Amino acid sequence: MSRPEVIVCAGGGGVGKTTTSAALALCLAQQGRRVLIVSIDPARRLADAMGVEFGTQAREVALDTGKGVLFGLMPDPDNALRTFIEVLFAEEPDSIERLLQNRLYRVLEAAVPGIHEMVTMTLTWRASVEHDIDVVIVDTAPSRNAIDFITYPKRLAKLLGGRAVGWMAAMGRRSNIGIEDRMGRVEKLLVRALGPAARDVAGLFAEMARVRDRFITLNEHTSELLLHPSTQYYLVASPTVAARDDVEFLIRKLRSLGVQARAVLINSAFVPPRPWIETLQAAEGVSDALLESLADLQHEEAVRQRATEQVTASFLAKHPDLTQLLLPYIEAIEPRAIVRAVAAELGQSSLGVLSDPVR
Amino acid sequence: MPTNGDTAGAHTPLAPAVFVTGKGGVGKTTVAAGLALAAAEADGEAVFVEFGDAAAGRRVLRDRPAGLEHVTLDPAHAVVRAAEPVFGSSTLAKLALDNFAMRPVIRAAPAIRELGVLELARRLVSEHPGKRVVFDMPATGHSVAWLKVARQGRELFERGPLYDVCARIEAELLSEGRASIVVVTLPERLVLSETLGLCDTVEDEVGLPVDRLVVNRVPAAPSPQVLEEAQALRDGEVAEAAEALYSLLRIRQTVREEVMDALEDTVARHGQGRERRLTLLPLANKAPNGATAARWLDEAGAT
Repeated sequence: MSRPEVIVCAGGGGVGKTTTSAALALCLAQQGRRVLIVSIDPARRLADAMGVEFGTQAREVALDTGKGVLFGLMPDPDNALRTFIEVLFAEEPDSIERLLQNRLYRVLEAAVPGIHEMVTMTLTWRASVEHDIDVVIVDTAPSRNAIDFITYPKRLAKLLGGRAVGWMAAMGRRSNIGIEDRMGRVEKLLVRALGPAARDVAGLFAEMARVRDRFITLNEHTSELLLHPSTQYYLVASPTVAARDDVEFLIRKLRSLGVQARAVLINSAFVPPRPWIETLQAAEGVSDALLESLADLQHEEAVRQRATEQVTASFLAKHPDLTQLLLPYIEAIEPRAIVRAVAAELGQSSLGVLSDPVR
Repeated sequence: MPTNGDTAGAHTPLAPAVFVTGKGGVGKTTVAAGLALAAAEADGEAVFVEFGDAAAGRRVLRDRPAGLEHVTLDPAHAVVRAAEPVFGSSTLAKLALDNFAMRPVIRAAPAIRELGVLELARRLVSEHPGKRVVFDMPATGHSVAWLKVARQGRELFERGPLYDVCARIEAELLSEGRASIVVVTLPERLVLSETLGLCDTVEDEVGLPVDRLVVNRVPAAPSPQVLEEAQALRDGEVAEAAEALYSLLRIRQTVREEVMDALEDTVARHGQGRERRLTLLPLANKAPNGATAARWLDEAGAT
């Protein structure tokens, strides 16, 4: 299989990132591509917007994609550790049993930053092979730290290759865990601090040491998808100071990973033209109350426009080479109506990615 | 102007430690800053705590009064600091944890940092007796997981110094009367349904009541009179324009009704024994700063 093109959408919370990712995916599918949209955001938004359910398998999305194909993948974050263990220990069912019995598992299950993202990227890799995908859109979690997961597999691999795992695994193989003379000073300190839980901790490390190689393969999938030179990062903002600061933060963070953001998409940047406001203002026999509502609508537009101008000017001053794309503010009841409208706007945009066929 | 939900009467007073949580982008930091400013105003002193990065707090806390302390807890350095009593001294804690073998464990292993941060939070609250300490929690689903870590740790460790840390956090920081949970959400169908799940998790798994449910950026309902007029104009000369206005107002009306229904449902679902107090904050053309949020929350009786 040839490697799929990967587009990562990142941004702070509340900027409409999921809608933008979905619209981008729909737009590419409408251009005839085989697209997979993946949501890491532990939210049901994508599900609602596109009719994708939680699951470890990609499913075809119920939207009119024209000649292309659109799949959605949204692993359930609540099952992340379980899925991770099942993938990692696919050939060692006994280990799976032991891990599920491990009392530490329950603690880890609740606090698994990074694991969910890594599982998602592994499932993404699998789905893109299975469905012969040519573009993957990754919708990250709505947070400044959302792209931390890019380096997480590396951190975990370092841990597994490190000395602590060796100690712990060795402790796990001993029948009784207690302070022993042949232990180093640091080991003794740790065993004392962990108390009775030392056995569970050691057991977990012993299992992890067993699948180190498979883990490193999974890690390579994540890196291959996310840190490949051809992977494009789109930052999503809205016309607010908070969203602008989040994007600035992400630009710096990406730069520290050697990645250049491809463009900033500014969501809800403008209200599509409403010539009807002036028509009604000029009409006869319209009440003052209605005229006032029309003036309010115009005021909302003006405020939005001013906010957008401030944000775009600020990006332009700091990053003159960064492409900025303004997207409309769509009011609708159904999320998928918004996705469709934004996709139509993206289809007319000048962003290269949308017109370039893969290789 | 803010309006209170259907639940009448005064809100239960907030506990000394207030954890403000919710999804990213809902205005958590603004609400947290508002609560901290209101407390500083009322009591003369209060503390506003952020995790990791102080930029968001600085933005909403411009012109911070002298009595309001702004603290940043850095998860990256929390573990070694928090572990000092576990190992007996800062030297031993450094020896055990700040070495080439353990550093990657702390960097990668989940739950350890969270426990470290909670321990520092506990110390912070105990070092400020009588002061309200407002925590602006990190913006992910993990923030609830954070609050669960102490209870799970206690069950895991059974005894020993780490058990003591977990038990102390639970007893001194996360027990009823000592901590209040404030959940911030937006008046959008999907965000709301996630928020309700979050409230359930906090109550069932952390064991703390959600004292406040703050719905931020609630748009005003369109005027029925204008809606009616637009509807009538659809038969006249400006039919097309009237139709456009009418459908826009209908969208706004429907979205608002859906939100109100969902909110009513939340309060109804958890009527037993304790109520989640609703506070609605208005949608303004300009994002509110901490001081504005403080005023709104105060007027709604939520501080």
